[in-house]
Amino acid sequence: MNWEQKIERLAVRARAERPPKVDVAQSVLEMLTAGQAEPLTVAERFWMWLAAASSAIAVPTAAIAFALYVRSAGPLSGIVEAISWATK
Amino acid sequence: MVGTQSLRLDVEAFVGALIAESVRALADAAYAQPQDMTVGVSAGDLEDVERTRGGDSDAYRRLIERYQDYVAGILWRFSRDRRDHEELVQDVFVEAYLGLATYRRKAPFQHWLARIATRVGYRYWKERARRRKMEAFNLEQWDRATENDGILDALEPDHAATLLYNLFEQLPPRDRLVLTLRYLDQCDVAETAQRTGWTKTMVKVQTLRAKRRLQNLVQRTGTELIR
Repeated sequence: MNWEQKIERLAVRARAERPPKVDVAQSVLEMLTAGQAEPLTVAERFWMWLAAASSAIAVPTAAIAFALYVRSAGPLSGIVEAISWATK
Repeated sequence: MVGTQSLRLDVEAFVGALIAESVRALADAAYAQPQDMTVGVSAGDLEDVERTRGGDSDAYRRLIERYQDYVAGILWRFSRDRRDHEELVQDVFVEAYLGLATYRRKAPFQHWLARIATRVGYRYWKERARRRKMEAFNLEQWDRATENDGILDALEPDHAATLLYNLFEQLPPRDRLVLTLRYLDQCDVAETAQRTGWTKTMVKVQTLRAKRRLQNLVQRTGTELIR
Protein backbone atom coordinates (compact mmCIF):
# COMPACT_ATOMS: atom_id res chain seq x y z
CA MET A 1 0.00 0.00 0.00
CA ASN A 2 1.53 3.34 -1.03
CA TRP A 3 1.25 6.58 0.91
CA GLU A 4 -1.79 7.82 -1.03
CA GLN A 5 -3.71 4.59 -0.56
CA LYS A 6 -3.03 4.90 3.17
CA ILE A 7 -4.39 8.46 3.14
CA GLU A 8 -7.47 7.27 1.21
CA ARG A 9 -8.08 4.47 3.71
CA LEU A 10 -7.71 6.86 6.63
CA ALA A 11 -10.06 9.31 4.93
CA VAL A 12 -12.69 6.58 4.54
CA ARG A 13 -12.50 5.96 8.30
CA ALA A 14 -12.50 9.70 9.03
CA ARG A 15 -15.62 10.29 6.92
CA ALA A 16 -17.54 7.93 9.19
CA GLU A 17 -17.07 10.38 12.05
CA ARG A 18 -20.11 12.30 13.24
CA PRO A 19 -19.39 16.01 13.81
CA PRO A 20 -20.57 17.48 17.12
CA LYS A 21 -24.08 18.89 17.22
CA VAL A 22 -24.36 22.64 17.49
CA ASP A 23 -27.24 24.94 18.19
CA VAL A 24 -26.24 28.45 17.19
CA ALA A 25 -29.59 29.91 16.08
CA GLN A 26 -30.21 31.90 19.25
CA SER A 27 -26.63 33.15 19.61
CA VAL A 28 -26.43 34.20 15.95
CA LEU A 29 -29.69 36.12 16.16
CA GLU A 30 -28.52 37.78 19.38
CA MET A 31 -25.23 38.77 17.73
CA LEU A 32 -27.07 40.22 14.77
CA THR A 33 -29.50 42.11 16.98
CA ALA A 34 -26.74 43.42 19.27
CA GLY A 35 -24.70 44.64 16.32
CA GLN A 36 -27.80 46.00 14.59
CA ALA A 37 -26.43 44.34 11.50
CA GLU A 38 -28.53 44.63 8.41
CA PRO A 39 -27.87 42.83 5.16
CA LEU A 40 -26.51 45.22 2.55
CA THR A 41 -29.04 46.21 -0.07
CA VAL A 42 -28.19 46.19 -3.76
CA ALA A 43 -28.01 50.00 -3.74
CA GLU A 44 -25.65 49.98 -0.76
CA ARG A 45 -23.43 47.42 -2.44
CA PHE A 46 -23.41 49.57 -5.57
CA TRP A 47 -22.29 52.65 -3.63
CA MET A 48 -19.71 50.58 -1.77
CA TRP A 49 -18.19 49.29 -5.01
CA LEU A 50 -18.38 52.75 -6.60
CA ALA A 51 -16.46 54.20 -3.64
CA ALA A 52 -13.88 51.41 -3.86
CA ALA A 53 -13.49 51.88 -7.62
CA SER A 54 -13.16 55.68 -7.20
CA SER A 55 -10.43 55.19 -4.61
CA ALA A 56 -8.69 52.68 -6.82
CA ILE A 57 -8.62 55.23 -9.66
CA ALA A 58 -7.90 58.30 -7.53
CA VAL A 59 -4.77 56.97 -5.83
CA PRO A 60 -2.82 56.03 -8.98
CA THR A 61 -4.03 59.22 -10.70
CA ALA A 62 -2.58 61.28 -7.84
CA ALA A 63 0.66 59.30 -8.00
CA ILE A 64 0.97 59.80 -11.76
CA ALA A 65 0.11 63.51 -11.45
CA PHE A 66 2.82 63.88 -8.83
CA ALA A 67 5.34 62.13 -11.06
CA LEU A 68 4.42 64.37 -14.00
CA TYR A 69 4.69 67.43 -11.79
CA VAL A 70 8.15 66.41 -10.63
CA ARG A 71 9.22 65.82 -14.22
CA SER A 72 7.82 69.12 -15.48
CA ALA A 73 9.22 71.00 -12.49
CA GLY A 74 12.74 69.82 -13.39
CA PRO A 75 13.61 72.43 -16.09
CA LEU A 76 11.86 75.16 -14.12
CA SER A 77 13.95 74.50 -11.07
CA GLY A 78 17.04 74.58 -13.35
CA ILE A 79 16.12 78.08 -14.48
CA VAL A 80 15.46 79.19 -10.91
CA GLU A 81 18.84 77.86 -9.86
CA ALA A 82 20.52 79.55 -12.82
CA ILE A 83 19.21 82.98 -11.80
CA SER A 84 19.54 82.44 -8.10
CA TRP A 85 22.44 84.92 -8.08
CA ALA A 86 19.84 87.63 -8.65
CA THR A 87 18.13 86.94 -5.35
CA LYS A 88 21.39 87.09 -3.40
CA MET B 1 16.92 62.99 -14.22
CA VAL B 2 17.93 59.70 -12.65
CA GLY B 3 15.81 60.61 -9.64
CA THR B 4 12.82 61.28 -11.89
CA GLN B 5 13.27 57.94 -13.68
CA SER B 6 13.50 56.10 -10.39
CA LEU B 7 10.35 57.88 -9.19
CA ARG B 8 8.58 56.91 -12.41
CA LEU B 9 9.59 53.28 -11.88
CA ASP B 10 8.29 53.45 -8.32
CA VAL B 11 5.01 54.90 -9.55
CA GLU B 12 4.70 52.21 -12.23
CA ALA B 13 5.37 49.48 -9.66
CA PHE B 14 2.86 51.06 -7.30
CA VAL B 15 0.20 51.31 -10.03
CA GLY B 16 0.89 47.69 -11.01
CA ALA B 17 0.45 46.51 -7.42
CA LEU B 18 -2.73 48.55 -7.11
CA ILE B 19 -4.20 47.04 -10.28
CA ALA B 20 -3.31 43.54 -9.07
CA GLU B 21 -5.02 44.26 -5.75
CA SER B 22 -8.14 45.56 -7.53
CA VAL B 23 -8.29 42.44 -9.71
CA ARG B 24 -8.01 40.30 -6.58
CA ALA B 25 -10.84 42.28 -4.90
CA LEU B 26 -13.04 41.78 -7.97
CA ALA B 27 -12.24 38.06 -7.95
CA ASP B 28 -13.25 37.92 -4.27
CA ALA B 29 -16.53 39.64 -5.14
CA ALA B 30 -17.20 37.06 -7.85
CA TYR B 31 -16.40 34.36 -5.30
CA ALA B 32 -19.37 35.53 -3.25
CA GLN B 33 -21.81 34.19 -5.82
CA PRO B 34 -21.82 30.78 -7.47
CA GLN B 35 -22.27 31.02 -11.22
CA ASP B 36 -23.07 27.66 -12.70
CA MET B 37 -25.40 25.82 -10.34
CA THR B 38 -29.05 26.18 -11.13
CA VAL B 39 -30.66 23.03 -9.83
CA GLY B 40 -31.91 22.00 -6.42
CA VAL B 41 -33.03 25.42 -5.20
CA SER B 42 -35.58 24.79 -2.46
CA ALA B 43 -38.77 26.83 -2.51
CA GLY B 44 -38.80 26.84 1.30
CA ASP B 45 -35.28 28.27 1.39
CA LEU B 46 -36.16 30.94 -1.15
CA GLU B 47 -39.18 31.99 0.83
CA ASP B 48 -37.17 32.16 4.06
CA VAL B 49 -34.41 34.12 2.34
CA GLU B 50 -36.94 36.62 1.04
CA ARG B 51 -38.58 36.93 4.44
CA THR B 52 -35.17 37.39 6.09
CA ARG B 53 -34.37 40.16 3.64
CA GLY B 54 -37.63 41.73 4.69
CA GLY B 55 -36.50 41.70 8.34
CA ASP B 56 -38.19 38.49 9.56
CA SER B 57 -35.78 37.03 12.13
CA ASP B 58 -37.89 33.88 12.53
CA ALA B 59 -37.27 33.08 8.88
CA TYR B 60 -33.52 33.35 9.44
CA ARG B 61 -33.82 31.19 12.53
CA ARG B 62 -35.47 28.52 10.37
CA LEU B 63 -32.62 28.72 7.84
CA ILE B 64 -30.03 28.39 10.61
CA GLU B 65 -31.81 25.45 12.19
CA ARG B 66 -32.14 23.76 8.80
CA TYR B 67 -28.45 24.09 7.89
CA GLN B 68 -26.45 24.36 11.11
CA ASP B 69 -25.62 20.64 11.18
CA TYR B 70 -24.51 20.76 7.57
CA VAL B 71 -22.28 23.78 8.21
CA ALA B 72 -21.00 22.19 11.44
CA GLY B 73 -20.02 19.12 9.41
CA ILE B 74 -17.98 21.23 7.00
CA LEU B 75 -16.30 23.22 9.75
CA TRP B 76 -15.40 20.15 11.80
CA ARG B 77 -12.77 19.59 9.10
CA PHE B 78 -11.37 23.04 9.87
CA SER B 79 -11.34 23.00 13.66
CA ARG B 80 -11.50 20.08 16.06
CA ASP B 81 -11.68 22.40 19.05
CA ARG B 82 -15.33 22.46 20.07
CA ARG B 83 -15.35 26.09 21.14
CA ASP B 84 -13.59 27.34 18.03
CA HIS B 85 -15.82 25.11 15.94
CA GLU B 86 -19.00 26.57 17.37
CA GLU B 87 -17.69 30.11 16.88
CA LEU B 88 -16.86 29.33 13.27
CA VAL B 89 -20.38 28.03 12.67
CA GLN B 90 -21.74 31.26 14.15
CA ASP B 91 -19.41 33.31 11.94
CA VAL B 92 -20.73 31.54 8.86
CA PHE B 93 -24.33 32.43 9.66
CA VAL B 94 -23.44 36.01 10.53
CA GLU B 95 -21.53 36.40 7.25
CA ALA B 96 -24.34 34.72 5.35
CA TYR B 97 -26.85 37.15 6.85
CA LEU B 98 -24.72 40.18 6.03
CA GLY B 99 -24.14 38.95 2.49
CA LEU B 100 -27.67 37.78 1.83
CA ALA B 101 -28.04 40.35 -0.96
CA THR B 102 -25.37 38.47 -2.94
CA TYR B 103 -27.40 35.25 -2.91
CA ARG B 104 -29.10 35.32 -6.29
CA ARG B 105 -31.25 32.20 -5.98
CA LYS B 106 -29.59 30.40 -8.90
CA ALA B 107 -27.81 27.93 -6.64
CA PRO B 108 -29.09 25.97 -3.67
CA PHE B 109 -28.75 27.94 -0.46
CA GLN B 110 -26.78 25.01 0.93
CA HIS B 111 -24.07 25.37 -1.75
CA TRP B 112 -23.83 29.07 -1.10
CA LEU B 113 -23.40 28.38 2.62
CA ALA B 114 -20.74 25.74 1.86
CA ARG B 115 -18.69 28.37 0.04
CA ILE B 116 -18.97 30.78 2.95
CA ALA B 117 -18.10 27.99 5.42
CA THR B 118 -15.03 27.06 3.38
CA ARG B 119 -13.93 30.69 3.26
CA VAL B 120 -14.46 31.12 7.02
CA GLY B 121 -12.59 27.88 7.78
CA TYR B 122 -9.72 28.74 5.45
CA ARG B 123 -9.41 32.17 7.04
CA TYR B 124 -9.25 30.48 10.45
CA TRP B 125 -6.41 28.23 9.27
CA LYS B 126 -4.50 31.16 7.80
CA GLU B 127 -4.84 33.06 11.06
CA ARG B 128 -3.59 30.08 13.05
CA ALA B 129 -0.71 29.52 10.64
CA ARG B 130 0.23 33.18 10.94
CA ARG B 131 0.33 32.84 14.72
CA ARG B 132 2.03 29.44 14.39
CA LYS B 133 -0.66 27.84 16.54
CA MET B 134 -0.19 24.22 15.52
CA GLU B 135 -0.54 21.00 17.40
CA ALA B 136 2.74 19.13 17.76
CA PHE B 137 2.71 16.13 15.51
CA ASN B 138 4.90 13.09 15.65
CA LEU B 139 5.32 10.98 12.57
CA GLU B 140 5.42 7.93 14.83
CA GLN B 141 1.63 8.29 15.12
CA TRP B 142 1.37 8.04 11.35
CA ASP B 143 3.76 5.08 11.19
CA ARG B 144 1.85 3.21 13.89
CA ALA B 145 -1.60 3.88 12.42
CA THR B 146 -0.65 2.89 8.90
CA GLU B 147 1.59 -0.05 9.79
CA ASN B 148 -0.79 -2.59 8.30
CA ASP B 149 -4.31 -2.92 6.90
CA GLY B 150 -5.72 -4.41 10.09
CA ILE B 151 -4.71 -1.46 12.24
CA LEU B 152 -5.89 1.02 9.61
CA ASP B 153 -9.32 -0.52 9.25
CA ALA B 154 -9.78 -0.87 13.01
CA LEU B 155 -9.01 2.77 13.63
CA GLU B 156 -11.85 4.71 15.29
CA PRO B 157 -13.28 7.35 12.90
CA ASP B 158 -12.40 10.22 15.23
CA HIS B 159 -8.83 8.95 15.59
CA ALA B 160 -8.49 8.68 11.83
CA ALA B 161 -9.93 12.18 11.39
CA THR B 162 -7.63 13.62 14.06
CA LEU B 163 -4.61 11.94 12.52
CA LEU B 164 -5.39 13.37 9.08
CA TYR B 165 -6.17 16.76 10.59
CA ASN B 166 -2.84 16.88 12.42
CA LEU B 167 -0.96 15.58 9.40
CA PHE B 168 -2.48 18.14 7.00
CA GLU B 169 -1.88 20.87 9.57
CA GLN B 170 1.85 20.54 8.97
CA LEU B 171 1.32 21.88 5.45
CA PRO B 172 0.60 25.46 4.33
CA PRO B 173 -3.13 26.41 4.51
CA ARG B 174 -3.56 26.31 0.71
CA ASP B 175 -2.25 22.76 0.52
CA ARG B 176 -4.30 21.79 3.51
CA LEU B 177 -7.45 23.16 1.95
CA VAL B 178 -7.20 21.25 -1.33
CA LEU B 179 -6.19 18.04 0.44
CA THR B 180 -9.05 18.31 2.92
CA LEU B 181 -11.57 18.93 0.16
CA ARG B 182 -10.08 16.16 -1.98
CA TYR B 183 -9.72 13.38 0.59
CA LEU B 184 -12.25 14.19 3.30
CA ASP B 185 -15.05 15.92 1.40
CA GLN B 186 -14.38 13.93 -1.79
CA CYS B 187 -14.60 17.05 -3.94
CA ASP B 188 -13.45 16.76 -7.54
CA VAL B 189 -11.71 19.64 -9.33
CA ALA B 190 -14.95 21.42 -10.28
CA GLU B 191 -16.40 21.14 -6.77
CA THR B 192 -13.14 22.30 -5.21
CA ALA B 193 -13.11 25.27 -7.59
CA GLN B 194 -16.66 26.14 -6.55
CA ARG B 195 -15.95 25.79 -2.85
CA THR B 196 -12.71 27.77 -2.92
CA GLY B 197 -13.52 30.31 -5.64
CA TRP B 198 -10.27 29.35 -7.41
CA THR B 199 -10.04 28.51 -11.10
CA LYS B 200 -9.97 24.83 -12.09
CA THR B 201 -6.40 25.24 -13.35
CA MET B 202 -5.36 26.72 -10.05
CA VAL B 203 -7.02 23.86 -8.18
CA LYS B 204 -5.18 21.29 -10.32
CA VAL B 205 -1.81 22.98 -9.84
CA GLN B 206 -2.40 23.46 -6.12
CA THR B 207 -3.48 19.84 -5.69
CA LEU B 208 -0.34 18.56 -7.44
CA ARG B 209 1.88 20.72 -5.25
CA ALA B 210 0.02 19.76 -2.09
CA LYS B 211 0.21 16.06 -2.88
CA ARG B 212 3.94 16.33 -3.53
CA ARG B 213 4.47 18.07 -0.20
CA LEU B 214 2.28 15.54 1.58
CA GLN B 215 4.21 12.68 0.02
CA ASN B 216 7.50 14.21 1.20
CA LEU B 217 6.01 14.58 4.64
CA VAL B 218 4.70 11.05 5.12
CA GLN B 219 7.71 9.42 3.57
CA ARG B 220 9.94 10.70 6.32
CA THR B 221 10.29 7.77 8.64
CA GLY B 222 11.09 7.33 12.27
CA THR B 223 10.05 9.60 15.10
CA GLU B 224 10.91 12.97 13.71
CA LEU B 225 8.89 15.69 15.35
CA ILE B 226 7.36 18.04 12.83
CA ARG B 227 6.77 21.60 13.90
